[in-house]
Amino acid sequence: MMKMVRAIVRPEKENDVVLALEAKGFPALTKTHVFGRGKQKGITVGPIHYDELPKVMLMIVTEEESVPVIVDVIQKAAFVGYEGDGKIFVSPVTESYTIRTGAKAE
Amino acid sequence: MLVEITAILRRDKVGPTMKGLDAMGLGAMTLTTVNGRGLQGGNVMTDIDREVPAEYESVSKIVNHLTPASFALSHSLTRPVFWIPKRMIQIVVPVSMKDEVVDLIMSVNRTGWMGDGKIFVSPIGESVRIRTGERGTDSVL
Repeated sequence: MMKMVRAIVRPEKENDVVLALEAKGFPALTKTHVFGRGKQKGITVGPIHYDELPKVMLMIVTEEESVPVIVDVIQKAAFVGYEGDGKIFVSPVTESYTIRTGAKAE
Repeated sequence: MLVEITAILRRDKVGPTMKGLDAMGLGAMTLTTVNGRGLQGGNVMTDIDREVPAEYESVSKIVNHLTPASFALSHSLTRPVFWIPKRMIQIVVPVSMKDEVVDLIMSVNRTGWMGDGKIFVSPIGESVRIRTGERGTDSVL
């Protein structure tokens, strides 16, 4: 069984997370620039309210056994200790294909 | 039972892929611009790196080839992170059409070179068409 790990992290932590994952042997991932807000409903600075905060979403598909390692690595590398550090979601992937070779993994 | 097919493709293969899906009667999809890196770590010069004999490791690579490694050195970076621009197509289909769609995407996108992309199939719990309130298979076809 494969799993998709989606981590929404601070943009400035993107490099740290990617390098930490690479060091653990997970070089392959996909990144998207996204906007979101958390349960604080964004940030209010003086009279101005920001409710679309820029984040980076990293998407990694991996074997189930590697999920705890990846989650741990991302959590350590993306940690700042304030609201806005992000979330990690894990969801099931039933099949995965490499287009170049046609190889299938389940 | 619905499944989501997520395909990460080369930018120039999106058009042909969409045409193929259209011909199957699947016009609806979500397209996202993403950046990715694969097993080569985003290093599109991997093949060139391999051609350099090991004994010339540091010198000839830097002098003769612009690779992420040499780029990083010449710019005093400790470690480069390179990204390759990609397109991600997400399409939700009934599980019965899964193999057909996967085969089509594979046949259209296969060039045999690194970077052809990946296809992921994952289950979808519930699906609603907002306009009509239809649920399940009706909402995606």
